[in-house]
Amino acid sequence: MGVRVTTGRTLLAAAIGLGVAFSAQAGKYPDIGPLPQLKTNKAKAELGKRLFFDKRLSGDAGISCADCHVPSKAYGSKTALSPGYPGNGHFRNAPSLINTAHKKVWNWDGRIGTNLNDMTREMITEDYIMNMDMRIMQERLKQDPVYVKMFKDAGYGEPSNGSVRKAIPEYLKTLTSRGAPFDSGNLSAAARRGMKLFKGKAGCIRCHNGPLFTDQKPHNTGVPENFDVFLDPMNHQAFLAFAMFQGIPDYMHLKRDPGYFNVTLEKKDMGKFITPSLRELRYSAPYMHNGMIKTLAGVVNFYNRGGGKDSNKSKLLKPLHLTGQEKKDLVAFLESLSGKPLTSGQYVWKQPYPSEYPAIENWRQVRN
Amino acid sequence: MKKMKFAPTMVAAAVATVLVAGCNAQATKDQAGMSAGDKAMAAAGAGTSGPPPLAPLGPPPIPPDNQQTPEKIELGKLLFFDPRIGGDASTGCSTCHEPEQGWAWAEDFSRGYPGTVHWRNSQTVVNSAYFPRQFWAGSASSNESQARSAAKGGVAGNGEDDIMEARLALIPEYRARFKKVFGTDYPHIFDVWRAISSFERTLVQRDTPLDKYLLGDKTALSEEQLRGKALFEGKAGCIQCHNGAITSDQNFYNIGVPPNKRWEEDGLAQITFRFEQYAKGQTEEGYRTAKSDWGFYYRSKNPGDKGKFRTAPLRYLAYTAPYMHNGVFYTLEEVVDFYDRGGFDEEGRTTLFPETKSPLIKPLGLTDDEKADLIAFLESMSGEEILMEKPEQPPYAPLFTKAELKAAQEAK
Repeated sequence: MGVRVTTGRTLLAAAIGLGVAFSAQAGKYPDIGPLPQLKTNKAKAELGKRLFFDKRLSGDAGISCADCHVPSKAYGSKTALSPGYPGNGHFRNAPSLINTAHKKVWNWDGRIGTNLNDMTREMITEDYIMNMDMRIMQERLKQDPVYVKMFKDAGYGEPSNGSVRKAIPEYLKTLTSRGAPFDSGNLSAAARRGMKLFKGKAGCIRCHNGPLFTDQKPHNTGVPENFDVFLDPMNHQAFLAFAMFQGIPDYMHLKRDPGYFNVTLEKKDMGKFITPSLRELRYSAPYMHNGMIKTLAGVVNFYNRGGGKDSNKSKLLKPLHLTGQEKKDLVAFLESLSGKPLTSGQYVWKQPYPSEYPAIENWRQVRN
Repeated sequence: MKKMKFAPTMVAAAVATVLVAGCNAQATKDQAGMSAGDKAMAAAGAGTSGPPPLAPLGPPPIPPDNQQTPEKIELGKLLFFDPRIGGDASTGCSTCHEPEQGWAWAEDFSRGYPGTVHWRNSQTVVNSAYFPRQFWAGSASSNESQARSAAKGGVAGNGEDDIMEARLALIPEYRARFKKVFGTDYPHIFDVWRAISSFERTLVQRDTPLDKYLLGDKTALSEEQLRGKALFEGKAGCIQCHNGAITSDQNFYNIGVPPNKRWEEDGLAQITFRFEQYAKGQTEEGYRTAKSDWGFYYRSKNPGDKGKFRTAPLRYLAYTAPYMHNGVFYTLEEVVDFYDRGGFDEEGRTTLFPETKSPLIKPLGLTDDEKADLIAFLESMSGEEILMEKPEQPPYAPLFTKAELKAAQEAK
């Protein structure tokens, strides 16, 4: 292994020894509750929607944002590992984009902490994701009369890279949870019991708190590696390209996803990933940064065992001793955090895209 | 790596400008439209010295820091034909430099990366080893830098260093071959360009009828070709620029080639046209108004260089149609007619930059027989077609075993 984690075992043992009383701590964390709806500009969001589903935003025009962020999967990945750009695979599970506009940090490793404008650029330009030279993208958009009108109507003037990086985030603001039983207060009895466990005995709220159900901080929960990252050269090459670009030492020998380590390059952050939101979980299986757990019951069992095996694992994790009924209640609560699927034409661009670019007429005479 | 190409492009442009300023300081001071080559020719006309004569091709120059070895050449051949040296693993060197299309691409514009079309004609790799300048505007000075630029260009290979290097690291045969040739544990991207260049330096042709003739075999050229040679060196004036062993003075001229009409009719070509203006550092006004390829101007940023391109070598041209930087002429007949008219096509179209057009280009008054003789001579600059079987792509294999991964998992 390239980078070994050599500290943490004693701390973990100490934490177990203390036997923290979880239920008494719920009040210490930002409370869970409904998310505020975001105001959006309709013309800009509509433009962003057309861009999001347009394959011409990738280098070889082979994939759109929606190839990894699939609407029926709560705008997350269908497969454990995202497909990535043609010619390679990927090494992580694309997270749901529903409510992404409420986040303060993006990517499983938290490497973007600014805004969705930067995230949009990152996803479009990264060579194993969409591999787009945005200068070519801009000229493609200018060649499509529908875009020329939509950019103008949105107040952006002519199509430009900068406006794409604004319009897609505007569209993403429309992707927020709608009608989740938790938000509407229609919780079943089982879900109510689950919520109590969530805040108490199971201790989920220590990381999954606030209206997004995440502290947006990095934690190592010991999720096992997905060996397909390394056994499938398509995925491994994407991982290597990522690791090279991030400046991760000894990347050729790395047999694990370093997670937040790639942001700090400090050993204490090895294997940490940003706490994911729990909203829309009903649609976004499989779970975890690498899709290693297929069902919510599996996730609950994982935490009930005290998480996975890692010397750098968070000391917050320890066996929970949940009964079979308690586990079911917890799953019922988790399921109540999902709203209606956002798969209608309100959210998904359903019109066809032109199969070729029309020539600009009278080209010699008009300004480019 | 992210495709953040703005800064590197600016650096490259700045470097190019410095280099070019050094070469062209004189030209900038006097006749704006005349390049160094034009001036040399003008001086030649005044009787000081003539252009270098046609000469047989010697062995290609080998850079001291990239010596040829059989293992390196063999590795370079594998890489040249491997589409994984590109963005989506579909577009490698041979994609646009196809052996059966003259080690070039038999359309006006090179085919380009999927989802794009290029905006210039793909040039043959054959004899590229001899050229101190590569690409139509001379923007690379070695095979090594040409290979790198082509593999990475947005409408060519669209590859990034890290993903290409990562792919090669996961192909055991490449790991072994790079280790043997370059001594590295994993392939390094700069060694990819070195190996490809070594292979390209074997794609030379030195036994054309012209070479044989120049080496003393007076039967190597027909009567017709000999008459064509006399025209080439005399009345038609071709030798003013197409001279020496490589049949190119490697200078830049505007010979009057008209813009390719595809830019008026083809949306995909219009996209690339604007992208190139943007990518090559045009001014805002230049981007808005350009309607043809400004050529060497993009590198020199000297208005006197608009529409100028590097003199194309004539060797191997029997296999490399269509011709000119934008492939507007599909036959040698069209090319000769174009020069005979003084740089106009059959519709009377010419460069959009008449002010930079070389004074060397003027109507030639060739008869039909003379044109036929000239073409026959041009054909003597090509020998047998160079063809070869494409090598099989070495397969990927996982770098680690499941047991190694399990052990690493246990050790976490």
